Amino acid sequence: MSVPGWVLHEPFVTGVSIGAPWFGAVLVTGYRRHARIIGCATAFVSIFASSVLLADAGNSESLYPALMLLFSCLTFGATLLLPLRDCTPKTVGGILFLLGSTLLVYSAGNLLVLLAAWILSIVPFLRTGWFRARAWRPLAGLLLSTLALALAIGLILISTGIISINHLKGQSPGGVLAFALLVMAVIFRKGICPAHAWVADAAETGPVLPTALLLNGHFGALLVAKLIVPLFPRTDRLFPVLSYLAIVTAVYVAIRALTENSPRRLLAFLGLSQSACILSGLESRTGEGIAGAIVHWFVVAISTVALFGILRLLEVRFGENLTGSKHLGLAEHAPRLAVSFVIFGLALVGLPGTLGFCSQDLLIHGALTSHRLIGLLLPIATAMNAVSFFRLFTRLFLGKRRTGFTVMADALPRERWILAAGVLFVVLGGLFPNAILIQRSSEANIVQEAIRTAAALNPVGRVDGQPRKLPITATR
Amino acid sequence: MSLSQAVLVFVVLAPGVVFAVFAVLWLLGWTPGERFLSWVTGLTFAASAIAIAAIVWSIASGSTVTVTFGNWFAVGDYHFPLVLMADRLSLPFLALTVVLSGLIAQFSATYLHREQGFFRFFLLLHLFTFGSSLAFAAGSFDLLAAGWEVVGITSVLLIGFFQLRPAPVENGLRVFGIYRACDIGLFVAVFAMHHWAGTASFDRGFPTLAGSQAVVVCVLLLLAAAGKGAQIPFSGWLPRAMEGPTPSSAIFYGAISIHAGAYLLLRAQPLLARSALASAMVILTGLATAIHGTIVGRASADAKTSLAYATLTQVGLVFIEIGLGWKWLAVAHILGNATVRTMQFLRAPSMLHDYHQMHSAIGGEVSATGKQMEELLPEGVQLWLYRWAFDRGHLDTILDRWVIDPLLEVSAYLAKHDRAGLTRSTIRPGNAAPITLRDPAKQGSD
Repeated sequence: MSVPGWVLHEPFVTGVSIGAPWFGAVLVTGYRRHARIIGCATAFVSIFASSVLLADAGNSESLYPALMLLFSCLTFGATLLLPLRDCTPKTVGGILFLLGSTLLVYSAGNLLVLLAAWILSIVPFLRTGWFRARAWRPLAGLLLSTLALALAIGLILISTGIISINHLKGQSPGGVLAFALLVMAVIFRKGICPAHAWVADAAETGPVLPTALLLNGHFGALLVAKLIVPLFPRTDRLFPVLSYLAIVTAVYVAIRALTENSPRRLLAFLGLSQSACILSGLESRTGEGIAGAIVHWFVVAISTVALFGILRLLEVRFGENLTGSKHLGLAEHAPRLAVSFVIFGLALVGLPGTLGFCSQDLLIHGALTSHRLIGLLLPIATAMNAVSFFRLFTRLFLGKRRTGFTVMADALPRERWILAAGVLFVVLGGLFPNAILIQRSSEANIVQEAIRTAAALNPVGRVDGQPRKLPITATR
Repeated sequence: MSLSQAVLVFVVLAPGVVFAVFAVLWLLGWTPGERFLSWVTGLTFAASAIAIAAIVWSIASGSTVTVTFGNWFAVGDYHFPLVLMADRLSLPFLALTVVLSGLIAQFSATYLHREQGFFRFFLLLHLFTFGSSLAFAAGSFDLLAAGWEVVGITSVLLIGFFQLRPAPVENGLRVFGIYRACDIGLFVAVFAMHHWAGTASFDRGFPTLAGSQAVVVCVLLLLAAAGKGAQIPFSGWLPRAMEGPTPSSAIFYGAISIHAGAYLLLRAQPLLARSALASAMVILTGLATAIHGTIVGRASADAKTSLAYATLTQVGLVFIEIGLGWKWLAVAHILGNATVRTMQFLRAPSMLHDYHQMHSAIGGEVSATGKQMEELLPEGVQLWLYRWAFDRGHLDTILDRWVIDPLLEVSAYLAKHDRAGLTRSTIRPGNAAPITLRDPAKQGSD
């Protein structure tokens, strides 16, 4: 029996990957039973569909299917990691809704669809009683980023009347104002300084795993790769400003994390500081910087979600008042959670033996090549992040054994297997990085090729012996 | 792949494979017994020692053993070469690592018998041996940096071996911070070599750099070497590292890790030889450390710290030799110092027993060793010097006052502003006040 041709068509498979989690969200909300099973099953459908898309995509088209696959896997893992008390139909439904919206943002080729998906992705975080944080800044950050994006898209539509992203490439639609609004959207959504505070507030006062998933959609970086780079090739003098802001954010947040006591806020700061590096890598205009940024995107997403997941498991087992102000000695009770925590953390801060080392190595080389002096701040920020992470690890897991716990509170089998899968990815990825890098570097080559094309459109001279500042163009 | 190449790969990978296998088995729920673990460890190190002898035989004929695996990863023009190399410089260090690690493993099998962290110790010992073998057998600075980092993290985890007490854990954190700060020098140096020379490999000759470029790279490498080698102004971490178990102190701070910085500079000798300024800086650093080490060591109250400062003094002298270009004297000095210090560290816990045995053997007290040189100084200076030495040259205080405290104050200031928009109800319990790291041991015991 042969498979009908339309089944393997890209729009259909994309539709399945997006529709399945939305269907799952409706099902779990209505049926109100077996939430975890439904969540995992529909996330698995998305994983399968994204894999088909990735296998089918050429090298130049593989970035967005790869990101779809990554986010589907993250959602699958997060659903498995959810502690029993959090695994309610409302939470699982919200996570699935977020998955569908995020995949739609990744796959959107149309400005209006992009805007609609962007709005849908934040809906669960706007409603009280769903994923909305208690603090006001997350709400403000999300709304302001959406407003900036909506105004930018409105401006583009008014000035050109075109909604297809492909048809707008290289046209600088809406001029500097649209560009500025898109940059504002990135700043607010990504948590770039001075709009960084909402990220930690969201992690502190919102539900941990859904918030981690929201943050690791990395919509800010996506906006750079999807709209700013390909649509605005003539903003090469303005674009580095975003990179400088990202590097400043990485350092600022790294310093800020040094005295943070709250594990949730500290992890949020570490994730934010490390993910800010992604923007500087994308902007570095070097092959290694761009490839490093893309791989780093994967490392940060997996590590951060896993770290938040482990933290939530600890909160459920040992109480929600975990703090970094004293040694809690949890390794005695949960040794495997401790080992997983340290491996993901070391991957996040780029220590050898993990994929984080390779991505950081490439990213820092790219950043230093592009901005020799300010690029020096990246290794400094990473070093501070490593210290902050190690402090958190020692405070949570080392120290005197806690009294009052007579049973082991280590990872359950379902948690152990999904954490092991994540550990295998970051460790095997670190030992054999070429397997992951080959495809990412081909995407980076496409970007570099596009840079040359854009340079031909917009020649700029050398300034003070520095390498020619070239605008990045299309990644797709 | 020739036999000597296969043997080199075995020497580097064997401890890494043992570590990986035992780690995976533990994650799956199986912990090996002490006897089995000791047996596997002994077998691994014995085989590695024989393998090293084979490489010595091969190198004696004058050739260098090089194994090229291609690139670990590569993007465009940038690549991370995976080249292992055993030459006349790296071989003594490889041999030292394998032999002393094996020795330490045998010693620890008895010394740590029924200790709660027995398995953890052996796991980390294998990881350390892998990291240092990788660093010493690396054919490029990129790979050397990877091994260097593994040595660093293992070192820190072993300082916090007695994890139930806050002081070792906090001291481990402090050491980690200094390592990470100094390793920035190594990473930026590697970047600079890639940027200026197009490569950081030295298996086919050293990267070609112009005069000022060589100075910059050497200074950056000196920063990394000073951090790992506990040279001034970073010497303050060394006594803190003595919190770890004695066997790990012996292998790390008596033998291998403390000399890794010297190895890095020996590797960079061709560059140093072309830069008088960098050589002078290496000599001055070594000289200052040697003087500091010998004075502070005399005021140390415990055996391990005294030994650590004795090692430090010798490493300072090694730095001077490297700066003067006496490469092979430095290598011989390192081998001798590492071997003697390992033995002294391992005997430190039974020092009193040794003295009693000696007294019994000679039939009375051991005769006085003679006058101390510091007695020649005026009494006021002696007192000042004692206070200075007792506070370990105020190095930690200076580092705290001029680097760490200002950084933490900035951080606390930023925290105050970040939290301005939060109401009390949104701050989770226990997390309201920012921490200080001024007194880590006290902080940890709250």
